[in-house]
Amino acid sequence: MRKPMKHVLIGLAIALTLFEGARAAEPTAQEIIAGVDAGRNPGQSFRVTDVLTEYVNGKPQASNQLVVFVRQNKTTKQYDNLVRYVLPVRDAGKMVLMNGSNMWFYDPSSKASVRISPQQRLLGQASNGDVATVNLSRDYNSTLLGEEKLNDADKQPRDCWHLELKAANDEAVYSRIEFWIEKGTNRQIKGKFFSDSGRLLKIAYYHKFTPMMGRMIPAETIVIDAVNQNLITTMAMSDMQARDVPDSWFQRDFLPRLKID
Amino acid sequence: MKKAILFLAAAFCVPAAAQEDKDLDLIPGSVANAAAPSSAAKDQGKYSLDDAFGWYGFRGQLAVPLSGGMPSRWANRLSFDGLDTFTLSPALSFTASDRLSLASADGIGFPNKALRNDIREAYFTYEAAPQTYLEAGRINLRYGVAYGYNPTDFFRSRTSVAQSSSDPGAQRLNRLGTVLLRGQHFFDGGAVELVYAPKLHSPVPLGLTPGPFDPKIDQTNGSDRLLAAFSFELEEFSPQMLVYYEGGRTKFGLNLSHPIGASVIAYASWAGDMASSATVDAFAFAKRTRTFPATLPVTPTQSLSRGFKNDLSVGANWSGEYKESITIEYNFHQAGFSQADWKDWFATGANPAFSQVMWYLRGYASDIQQPMSRHQAFVRADWAEPFHIEHADVGAYVMTNLLDGSSIGQISASYDLSDQWSLGIYGSGSIGGRKSEWGSLRGSSSVVVQAVRYF
Repeated sequence: MRKPMKHVLIGLAIALTLFEGARAAEPTAQEIIAGVDAGRNPGQSFRVTDVLTEYVNGKPQASNQLVVFVRQNKTTKQYDNLVRYVLPVRDAGKMVLMNGSNMWFYDPSSKASVRISPQQRLLGQASNGDVATVNLSRDYNSTLLGEEKLNDADKQPRDCWHLELKAANDEAVYSRIEFWIEKGTNRQIKGKFFSDSGRLLKIAYYHKFTPMMGRMIPAETIVIDAVNQNLITTMAMSDMQARDVPDSWFQRDFLPRLKID
Repeated sequence: MKKAILFLAAAFCVPAAAQEDKDLDLIPGSVANAAAPSSAAKDQGKYSLDDAFGWYGFRGQLAVPLSGGMPSRWANRLSFDGLDTFTLSPALSFTASDRLSLASADGIGFPNKALRNDIREAYFTYEAAPQTYLEAGRINLRYGVAYGYNPTDFFRSRTSVAQSSSDPGAQRLNRLGTVLLRGQHFFDGGAVELVYAPKLHSPVPLGLTPGPFDPKIDQTNGSDRLLAAFSFELEEFSPQMLVYYEGGRTKFGLNLSHPIGASVIAYASWAGDMASSATVDAFAFAKRTRTFPATLPVTPTQSLSRGFKNDLSVGANWSGEYKESITIEYNFHQAGFSQADWKDWFATGANPAFSQVMWYLRGYASDIQQPMSRHQAFVRADWAEPFHIEHADVGAYVMTNLLDGSSIGQISASYDLSDQWSLGIYGSGSIGGRKSEWGSLRGSSSVVVQAVRYF
């Protein structure tokens, strides 16, 4: 009995050595996430059109068209957003400012700017934009959970890194995220987003990777509501273009001035 | 050993991935294969047609009697609403906001009382230099961060327009702007603003019924006014400082808000000036508009002294994971009625010779959108998509007089049938003893149903 046990221990030692050797050649979790950021976040301010379509039991129920102005904050390195609702008409002209924890909602009907909390940021349709534009490497500490072969939204198998991200500061929108990142391309294939209480909020699938502003960016993200799984929101990004977005725009008083060029 | 490693791999990796792939089953083919939507985005106006029908309940015996007969127990209002901005050149635009309403109820004659057109806004905006804007025309300016009562909302006086909801938030959706000139400049992290609203007409008495297309300039521009505002960022407090001048009085204002954790926004709004009590102001206005004879003594006689008067709203808004939110706010209006003033109001008003004078004080406070009482609390709860009902919202608010415990409130529900159609229902009521602020009102309850079609 002792001899086989000895062989097993030697085998485990060799396996561990090989595993460690293999790990040395692998990127770290933080490097993978930095690669994701570099691969999809344009290095300059821009404007993009988002169309959010809500499906209930597979049938389109409602659609929102938003124009989003994005710039990277020089201090925080996070992406600040100015969101203007275009459609439906009921919401036309409403705006959301997301500048770190300084977040405001503006309604042109009441001329009122109301400050909103990070929690409220997660609730509206505009919150799905967060699934797309976040500086992951800055706001999250990443851990490599392993490697997995996963099907993407088009049911194509992808070799992925499976990572867990935990909020590293107060500005992180989600307390925990799990990502599946394709090896070699550093493309996000799937994400799971959790609330502070550990509740699964959203499951996101990224697909239709398309060249935009020099990056391969998922032109569509499919977001499954984890609580009400019959509810799915697709977010289609288009017309992404470099745009000067001055710092002075990112304040409450500017919201009524924001126009779609 | 190889088998053991493969077994371990099979045990820990494959089931996990297979489990993850099950999530794909949640995506129907109609979603995965949907055609890409149009990317053309263009600013557009907001137009709607809405109809609101209401039933109204009234109190029979009032502690302070009101003249006139019992109002109609039902009313209907059909309104066409429009808000649009027209770009005239890259630097120049024109914004217009208007509402045409047709009301019907017992005792309403056509067209003078039935038809009403409100030009809420009509103004030009000129971008004179990068980040510098000049505006001229009728503009709805609103300052303040509070929900129930905004002390720094200096341009709110006499701007009310009829609407379905009694919620203070909804009151701000429909109101008249003020004719003014405005300059605003933005810099990184802040903005400065100057406003001049000229006197264009002598103030008119309360309660007059204007012609259907009267723009009510006499209500919104009854005096010369100046305002300077300075907003900037400071440790996430987003302070806004204001100085406001009207009729020889200079008012100061400050707005602050600050996030606490991920779910709470705390806020405070303050304004203060050397002023008389609300009673003295109401009498002065009534005498200026010749509603009261110049010799009529001011009454109630409590708290008539002039001095520095503070207005303060402090509160916090909490949001939960299930799209629910609660706002709790305290309002202090130093110029308003104390408990002694209320006692005096009821005692004086019980005399039929003075009852209408007493009701005038309350009408004046309502018209200029000031609280009547010195201390009140405002609580509001909202729940979007309750019980996972998509496109539905429910909400409620309660405004309580902290001196006598009486309250006024509303429960509301709305449902968006489609991108074009919305339905709403509003149930309002007031409770309190006969000699309390809200229990002494003639209106006791109402239910309003509303349908809106957007274009």
